[in-house]
Amino acid sequence: MISIDRVSKQFETSRARRHLALSDISLSVARGEFVSILGPSGCGKSTLLYIVGGFVEQSSGAVIVDDNPVTGPGPDRGPVFQEFALFPWKTVLGNVMYGLDQRGMPKDEALARSRELLTMVKLSGYENFYPKELSGGMKQRVAIARTLAYRPNILLMDEPFGALDAHTRTKLQNDLLGIWEKDRKTVLFVTHSVEEAVFLSDRVVMMTSSPGRIKDIIKINLPRPRERAALLLNRRYQDYVVEIEKMMDEQPETRVS
Amino acid sequence: MMADIVSVERAEAPWWSSAGTIPGLPPIMACIGLLALWEVVARWYGLNGLPPASAALPQIPEILTDKESLIDIADSLRRMVTGFALALIFAVPAGLAMGRSKHVAAFFNPLLMVIYPVPKAALMPIIMLWLGVGDASKTLVIFLGVTLPLIYHSYQGSRAVEEKLLWSAAAMGLSAPARLIRIVLPAALPEILVGCRTGLVLALITMVTSEMIARQTGIGNIIFVSLDLGVYDRVYAMIVIIGALGFILDVIFESMRGRLVAWAEPSQAIVVGTT
Repeated sequence: MISIDRVSKQFETSRARRHLALSDISLSVARGEFVSILGPSGCGKSTLLYIVGGFVEQSSGAVIVDDNPVTGPGPDRGPVFQEFALFPWKTVLGNVMYGLDQRGMPKDEALARSRELLTMVKLSGYENFYPKELSGGMKQRVAIARTLAYRPNILLMDEPFGALDAHTRTKLQNDLLGIWEKDRKTVLFVTHSVEEAVFLSDRVVMMTSSPGRIKDIIKINLPRPRERAALLLNRRYQDYVVEIEKMMDEQPETRVS
Repeated sequence: MMADIVSVERAEAPWWSSAGTIPGLPPIMACIGLLALWEVVARWYGLNGLPPASAALPQIPEILTDKESLIDIADSLRRMVTGFALALIFAVPAGLAMGRSKHVAAFFNPLLMVIYPVPKAALMPIIMLWLGVGDASKTLVIFLGVTLPLIYHSYQGSRAVEEKLLWSAAAMGLSAPARLIRIVLPAALPEILVGCRTGLVLALITMVTSEMIARQTGIGNIIFVSLDLGVYDRVYAMIVIIGALGFILDVIFESMRGRLVAWAEPSQAIVVGTT
């Protein structure tokens, strides 16, 4: 369970200027819930995710994860980034095993678990490849396996499919949903795609920019397991997408500084 | 996209570039050309101080079989290796720390800016006053010469490490010092090795110049003693040996570097033709 309590974040852009990236954000995410944070670029949605991850410190407010205030990164919260952030000097297998070695898991056990995860993300056979030899979609599969390997309770996904082409993107969305529906980890998922947010989430948190605020939270009442092809024809799914897109359009355009 | 561009360039390449398809041929041709030019110019001018290649080159086997010259060369190489190793031990950690901490960078940066333009050999007379004319001062000059490119490239490499890489490691539980050694060091390795390559050449240069100022033993000593005695063919033979030494060291280093950072993305790899 994640509880974000009145979190604000100010960046000092220059000596005299301060930019309020997040203003007074409160949100709680239940265990096993899939929550998307949706908003235009520059609304601070990634910053909010980094604060929950403990990578960035908030200016005020608190984040509490399973009764403990967040003071830094920890293996209970596993990040997946848009940039993949694989260790380029490690093979696919080496990347997936990295967190397990770090946690002191015996070699053979870590090896077995890593192979199992690579099968899950459909990459068995690529164990000895280096990241540079993989396509973007494959890199992100490795990154997801690497994070799932050390069994975080919470997945923090920062526009994980943002750098992928449309086809690969829908494939990975389907696969992620398949993996998630098996063990129902808590997921905080940042995206700027309305369809992606509606397709994946239990709730969609809409944010406005400058300063970043929560505009609305929409509960997505669609049955699971969800199937993309069926959903595209589903009237309720279409209504959600249209409604949310309309609300997004009401926002003034973000100034790009 | 890239493949297309490359193939287009290949199709339009002039006929003589086909020599590049035989590995090793262009450098051999360059060497032969240089030797021929040397021979012609030396014979044309007939200067005492410029013996033709045909007179200088036969000196090479003589130098390389002479026990005393071999001891000189070994002395030089020993100092070079020591200076280089000390520079590695100091410069790589310092450069990596600079890249990750603004405070460390703010401390070292002005120091480096001041030391960078000073020719290291020019410090040799001063250093000799402190440490004498022996190994210590020569090794120190080599150390100074190698340290600067090495620290600079380590700094650049460390600064360029993607933040998300460090965050991913932090989430796995790696502490800040562990991240410096296990994430920043390997991630910056391609750039560090670029610095090592420059450092290797500078080590050779500072090695010879240090021996030129403090003559006692070494490769520089052979050159300048021969110069004083007017044995010019020996001087040129020694210059050729130094050049060959640099070339061999570079080839060995490049093959090692290729294996160490084979994993690097093309954007991280440097393309400098050697062989």
